[in-house]
Amino acid sequence: MKRNLYVLLSLLVLASVVTACGGGAAATEAPAATEAPAMTEAPTEAPAATEAPATEAPAAYDGMKTEAPNCDYGGEFKSIEAVDQYTVKFSLCAPDPAFLSKVAFAAFAIQDADYLNETGGDTAKINEAPNGTGPYVLKEWVRGDHITFEANPNYWGTAPTIQTLIFRWSAEPAQRLLELQSGTVDAVFAPAFEDFETIQADSNLALIPYDSPNVMYLGMNNTIPPFDKPEVRQAIAMAINKQQIVDLFYPPGSSVADQFTPPSITPGHSTSGDGAKWYDYDPAAAKELLAQAGFPDGFETTFSFRDVTRIYVTRQPQVAQEIQAQLAEIGVKINITPMESGAFLESVAAGEQAFFMLGWGMDYPDATNFYDFHFAGGVPRFGDEWPDIVEEIRAGAQLSDPAERQTHYDQVNALIKEHVPMIPVAHGAAADVFSASVGNVKIGALNENFQEMTTDDGQLVWIQSGEPISLFCGDETDGETFRACLQLYDSLLAYEFGGTKAVPALAESWEANEDATEWTFTLRQGVKFHNGADLDANDVVATYSALWDAKNANHKGNSGAFEYLVGFFGQFLNAPQ
Amino acid sequence: MSQFFLRRFLLFLPVLFGITFVTFALARLLPGDPCLIALGERATEEQCNAFRERFGLNDPILVQFFRYVGDIAHGDFGESIRNKRPVMDIVLERLPMTIEVTIGAMIFSTFFGILLGLISALRRNTAVDVVTMMGANIGVSMPVFWLGLMLAYVFALALKDTPFWIPPSGRLSSGVTIPPLTETFHWKQMGGPLGMIVTFASNMVTFNALITGNFKVLRDALWHLVLPCIAVGTIPLSIIARMTRSSLLEVLGLDYVRTARAKGLRERVVVLKHAFRNAMLPIVTVVGLSVGGLLSGAVLTETVFALPGVGTQLVSAILARDYPVVQAFTVVIAIIFVLVNLAVDMSYSYLDPRIRLQ
Amino acid sequence: MSTSTVPLKLEPVATVVSRTPFQNALRRFTRHRSAQVGMAILGFLILVAIFAPVLAPYDPIKPIREAKRRSPPCVHVLGCASDKPQYVFGIDSNQRDLLSRIIYGSRLSLEIGVSTVSFAIIIGVILGAVSGYVGGWTDNIIMRFMDVLLAFPSLLLAIAIVAVLGPGLINALIAIAFVSIPVYARLMRASVLQVKDQDFVSASRALGSSPIGILVSHVLPNALTPLIVQATLGIASAILDAAALSFLGLGAPPPTPEWGLMLGEERNSVFNAPYLVFIPGIAIMLTVLAFNLLGDGLRDALDPRQVNVK
Repeated sequence: MKRNLYVLLSLLVLASVVTACGGGAAATEAPAATEAPAMTEAPTEAPAATEAPATEAPAAYDGMKTEAPNCDYGGEFKSIEAVDQYTVKFSLCAPDPAFLSKVAFAAFAIQDADYLNETGGDTAKINEAPNGTGPYVLKEWVRGDHITFEANPNYWGTAPTIQTLIFRWSAEPAQRLLELQSGTVDAVFAPAFEDFETIQADSNLALIPYDSPNVMYLGMNNTIPPFDKPEVRQAIAMAINKQQIVDLFYPPGSSVADQFTPPSITPGHSTSGDGAKWYDYDPAAAKELLAQAGFPDGFETTFSFRDVTRIYVTRQPQVAQEIQAQLAEIGVKINITPMESGAFLESVAAGEQAFFMLGWGMDYPDATNFYDFHFAGGVPRFGDEWPDIVEEIRAGAQLSDPAERQTHYDQVNALIKEHVPMIPVAHGAAADVFSASVGNVKIGALNENFQEMTTDDGQLVWIQSGEPISLFCGDETDGETFRACLQLYDSLLAYEFGGTKAVPALAESWEANEDATEWTFTLRQGVKFHNGADLDANDVVATYSALWDAKNANHKGNSGAFEYLVGFFGQFLNAPQ
Repeated sequence: MSQFFLRRFLLFLPVLFGITFVTFALARLLPGDPCLIALGERATEEQCNAFRERFGLNDPILVQFFRYVGDIAHGDFGESIRNKRPVMDIVLERLPMTIEVTIGAMIFSTFFGILLGLISALRRNTAVDVVTMMGANIGVSMPVFWLGLMLAYVFALALKDTPFWIPPSGRLSSGVTIPPLTETFHWKQMGGPLGMIVTFASNMVTFNALITGNFKVLRDALWHLVLPCIAVGTIPLSIIARMTRSSLLEVLGLDYVRTARAKGLRERVVVLKHAFRNAMLPIVTVVGLSVGGLLSGAVLTETVFALPGVGTQLVSAILARDYPVVQAFTVVIAIIFVLVNLAVDMSYSYLDPRIRLQ
Repeated sequence: MSTSTVPLKLEPVATVVSRTPFQNALRRFTRHRSAQVGMAILGFLILVAIFAPVLAPYDPIKPIREAKRRSPPCVHVLGCASDKPQYVFGIDSNQRDLLSRIIYGSRLSLEIGVSTVSFAIIIGVILGAVSGYVGGWTDNIIMRFMDVLLAFPSLLLAIAIVAVLGPGLINALIAIAFVSIPVYARLMRASVLQVKDQDFVSASRALGSSPIGILVSHVLPNALTPLIVQATLGIASAILDAAALSFLGLGAPPPTPEWGLMLGEERNSVFNAPYLVFIPGIAIMLTVLAFNLLGDGLRDALDPRQVNVK
């Protein structure tokens, strides 16, 4: 009887699988193949939109142009136009003195227009065969293990002295250092500062500190109770003993953060006014404020952070527990919730996290990179933005005179202190460690000069803290990802090695009009993409359009957030309502 | 004989069905709207409707379940929420590493476990026996991830400048790579199940290196596998040692062994030829049962040794709420486990003819 | 022929002390070498757990502000300078005394082991009893479901359940308990089946006892032996599984002084402060060893085959 039952059951299962197979094949969408997908979105509101640039000199160049009908949509770009084969003109809605710095950023790496159309701007497809103009070509990406880059034989610049560049990753600084000490890697990102003494005592290793303006902050979302009450936010602000955190968990050379921007960012950092100094550490007053706000016995909340080390915090779990202990003293109980890095960043950007620890390493040396991105960028990181803060930030972003800008930023800092969207905690000192046998090492806040370094065998193995999320950086925000992109791609400009000044890259020269609202770039000629295509102005326009225009056929990316486009340049064209 | 096999195989199917059902139910129990999880909080209502249409989430649950079963039968596990890659690709990349560690640990634990158990049984109640069994007891009680950390400390740090040094992490040394099988043999990239098998075999570095004759890579890969396999295999080793000892002792007390000894056969022949074969049955059971522990142990040790396998991927997928990946790995591992148990069952009939005839 | 009807007077040759099977088992158990060691360790642990507030020199959760992070162990008796404060096991990365955390962790581990196994046994016994007694379709369905649960390696299924419920200590315990149910269900069912068809059961039913009465008075004593053995071993593996989940960050949240969590947090320190990794691991190992030895002793003592073997 039992046997028959089983036979019956098994036949039933088989039958259901077979029918599901037949029916399922029609219903599910199998993972797409790699031919060009058919896109059905409407074309952009552009007068002329053909792609194939003519390369014969006598025929007129069929340049692309993407244009906003007016400047009311809330963004900075008015139009991006390929004036001729090697000239691109950006027209802005408002003056932007930091424009050159922004354009040099890794998120705006130039893609080949045809390749963009082929892949539809889809990160998953671009990952399989990234196509850039950079000093390295992707040899292989063994997921979870390593990425191997090989020198680009057709690179437009100086040939790289490192032939094979390998990126590995490990979330544990101690493990990274051990690999270096064992000789399995040549360079390590952000070793644990407890090991600085060991490193300095070892003549085979070289500790390389570098100046990197950054800030670690505790963010609070003003749409999620109880952080919707300003008294609660102020109370938390007074209950954090920042000096203790810096003393215990930060490397020598780090400092307590009194404001959001570090002291080296001027105009931006205030030396006078209400916003120059933060609230004093006063747990008693904090408890009183909480009682006033209706929480005499404190409250409970989640506290999330990402599971990777960054320059602004290398000991996240321990810092989190320290904060937990400090807040316990005023009755606030936090539940520590570590999250995976990519998911965390997305969740924060979506405004889902009530209380979280995050930080910011400078992308380019201007206050707009700090303030605009975080407090006027249209991202609900801290909940609803404060209109008064936004106004002052926008004012400061459009002036050129540093003194005038500073008056606005002083206001911004004062308002930030009043509204407390976040609590700045520390500015972390940064250092990497290299094997002493690696030569010509120049580490800056924004990049590392891998292509100029020298090793005995022309191979360099670098170990960082996390795996790059993708190799299409238009829709990424993570520093480890950008570092990988920097090897494969170029932007119009680049940051000089060992410094932060913007220098020519794909653009040889540029001019701006008087009020910094029109920027015209002249492209380098003879630059080839890895797939052999030539660089011309349409590639630049296509790249920016894919990021900027929400209705562009290639506006796909990874999650579609394109945070840096929004953060740097305000808003999408044709943004969905 | 064939009826036995057929019966055992048919019994396997409902269990498989049950596994898929449990995983499907687990996924549907997940909190949160899958649309918002996949597209982000700012997704509009019409985007969500389109999303649900596309993934068939508007259909009745049973229809969804059968579609899911069909998908799995085709090898389509959906897409990772984090980076939109087909989950099947991720499985084919990550699983071989875990299988390598599991097989390596199984070889280590079976070989040394049986050896130690044999020695203990033959030297019963001597110091060797007592020490070995005490060690086995301790071995069974150790957390595998702790053992991994301790081994890493000893071999990677304490023995740093000695020839006994073993690398503490990674699958291969930096710069050492091996091309996929399609490249080495100049095959076309094929799709479907055959293509999946080839990809899987390519990603299993030891296997790949072995059949392409790339002994440098093979040596490097095996060297990196030493510590993880010892860490993972120690606990099953202890279990197997104890079981070997008790099983052998039981058999050695039986009449026919006494007869063999009375006939004047040498002790070694008595033990290895007569007693051992009959003692094997419980040992095989235990080896089969320990595969589950080996798999879990592999998952845990991977995080300690930074190996790109199922474990590291599973944990980060959970922390990232990447449910398709979690689902897929759970089903895959369960299927492997069930298949191994099936193999163990089948081997019984080889070892014990009486079972065959039931 | 006259038969002698004088009764034979038989002199007792030796006195035989009669013991109940239970007394026999207890005797064997207390004489078992491994069980003795296991009991000693467990006794020590229980004492530590009960007297934790007295034994622990510091609070396990509050940081000690004067202590230097990750100070190595300093025991005055073993040679550490007497002007330095004594931290027997050292200080962890958040300035907490490791000894105190280990002591309080023993409470947590014992609680984890006992609570998960109790939950699993109660549910497993009910399922197994119902399944064995009722038989038929119910039996089939329940047992197939148990098979499916057993089809997953237990830790991985626990991880998958935690993925659904979300990380946290209670969720981890639910997951581990859930995964352990099949073993007890099967045991109970086997015992029920063994007893079900025997004559005295039919007699009992004829006399009007309810099924539950039969279960309690006849089946349970039979099932008790394997259940107890399995439960002891189950506590051991529950403690290991809970430590594994916490190690992965899916179980107890910080700052709970759970041994597995301590291992996970200080994973990094294995290369420059190895005592922070070594000591919690030893604690886990000793606890699990105690239960394993105990279970072995119980199994040997209660094994019916051993009753006749000297």
